Amino acid sequence: MICEKCRIREANIKYTEVIGGVKTEHNLCSQCAQEMDFGQYSAIFDGEFPLGKLLSGLLGLSSPASRPQRAEEVVCPNCRTSYEEFISNSRFGCADCYHVFDLLIGEKIKKLQENASHTGKQPKMRPACETVSSVAGDGSLELSGQEQVSQLERQLKAALRIENYEEAAVCRDRIRALKGEKQKNDEMV
Amino acid sequence: MTRWFEEVENDASNIVSSRVRLSRNWEEYKFPSRLGAQEARSMIGCLRAAFGDLPERDGRAYAYRDLEAMEELDRMAMGERRLLNRTLMEKKTPGGIFCSEDERVSLVLNADDHIRLQVLAPGFDLKGCYEEADKLDDYMNEKISYAYNTKYGYLTSYPTNVGTALKASVIIHLPSLSVSRRFQELLSDMGRFGTTVRGVFGRGSDNIGDLYEVSNQKTLGVSEQEILDLVMNVAGQLSEQEKQVREASLKKNRLVREDEVYKSYGILKYARKLSMKEAMTFLSHLRAGIADGLLETEEFISIYSLMIGIQPANLQKLCKKPLGKEELDVARGRYIRELLPDLKSKQEDNNE
Repeated sequence: MICEKCRIREANIKYTEVIGGVKTEHNLCSQCAQEMDFGQYSAIFDGEFPLGKLLSGLLGLSSPASRPQRAEEVVCPNCRTSYEEFISNSRFGCADCYHVFDLLIGEKIKKLQENASHTGKQPKMRPACETVSSVAGDGSLELSGQEQVSQLERQLKAALRIENYEEAAVCRDRIRALKGEKQKNDEMV
Repeated sequence: MTRWFEEVENDASNIVSSRVRLSRNWEEYKFPSRLGAQEARSMIGCLRAAFGDLPERDGRAYAYRDLEAMEELDRMAMGERRLLNRTLMEKKTPGGIFCSEDERVSLVLNADDHIRLQVLAPGFDLKGCYEEADKLDDYMNEKISYAYNTKYGYLTSYPTNVGTALKASVIIHLPSLSVSRRFQELLSDMGRFGTTVRGVFGRGSDNIGDLYEVSNQKTLGVSEQEILDLVMNVAGQLSEQEKQVREASLKKNRLVREDEVYKSYGILKYARKLSMKEAMTFLSHLRAGIADGLLETEEFISIYSLMIGIQPANLQKLCKKPLGKEELDVARGRYIRELLPDLKSKQEDNNE
């Protein structure tokens, strides 16, 4: 089939338009298609990352202000190590970095190491954020509201880290409850 | 108190020493590279107090030393005795070390990671080293909670240590294998198995003393037992190959070997000046000769211990003053002369 616009080249793109329930079909060559204005879908005909642009176009993310953050700019909130710094020094700044950069480092770690997940010894005493509920449950350790919240927050983080969403939800609710209580207390004062 | 390296045999297994190192971080603190000096000092103080009952638990006497306050020469000497690594020897930031009297066990605080636990042993005893390290690891874990997650295991500053955070290594004496043509090939083969082999003394390909250290490359996705097995396996293979080359050379050129060993002994026993390269080369020949039964001394002397003793910082510590290059060579000659025992007379008769 010949392109309906230039009538010279072979048409290799079939464009179906539905406007107000009326369906029209166009047969175009890629050159003419590129020149036509298809709005956000024109990205399909660009050489660069057609699929990515199409997806962000579809999701309405193509405006530069909401462009997704570049990997180099990801910063660990605890120790302020940026991903760029991690790459140049190949050194983490704190335990949280593993969580923050998790998705970015998976492949790199796989290359360096045998496997991307641990199979060896586990600590007998688990990190406080994973055991605090049992300690606090005994009532053996009296904590102030603020301390309880920060410990729960760490517990929540740990739960998310190991993808234990049930535990995470419990922590989240307890944090909310504690914060709510605190607000009430503050109001009464 | 005898230090562990003074017990290293000069035996035909050619395996000099074993070492296990575990890196651990306290989850309460950022890793050392992100820790301010003040924060680091307070963490070190907490750890020092927490591990105060280590001697009672371990049954060994320990000394604690502040690395920040320590003189450079002391740090260098400790590095030569393998208690500190190169970066720690040059480190100027806060740090500390618990070290057992026999220097087998050491805990370095605030180095690359918050804690670097090291267990050394003479001969081929990686298993023993790990068992000891494992116990101490549990002891430390009673005091502090580690930075750990189920996916990445023990979290460390460097991604090359994460997981088990275990480095196991063995030092082997390879005087004959290392001069063979296929040695470089052999070393790169070792890389394929996931181990690294590097020279202990001297830089790069300029090895002196023919000591090589085999260690594991990977720490994540492999269990502690697998790491130990791998290093033991590779070290065992190298040791076996060395044995074969040595047996063949003894059969073919016994006289050449005997000559080499006795000349080396003669120079070491009577020289008035020994450069590092000379001393290490002759000590290496001597060790091979003793291991192969070509020569016997009146009393036991660990050749490896002499190799450590003649390193510049340890010599200067012994002489209690800084020494120039020539003074070092003189001191090195004297040190070996005084410590090297006489030959067993029976041996000399046999050779006549």
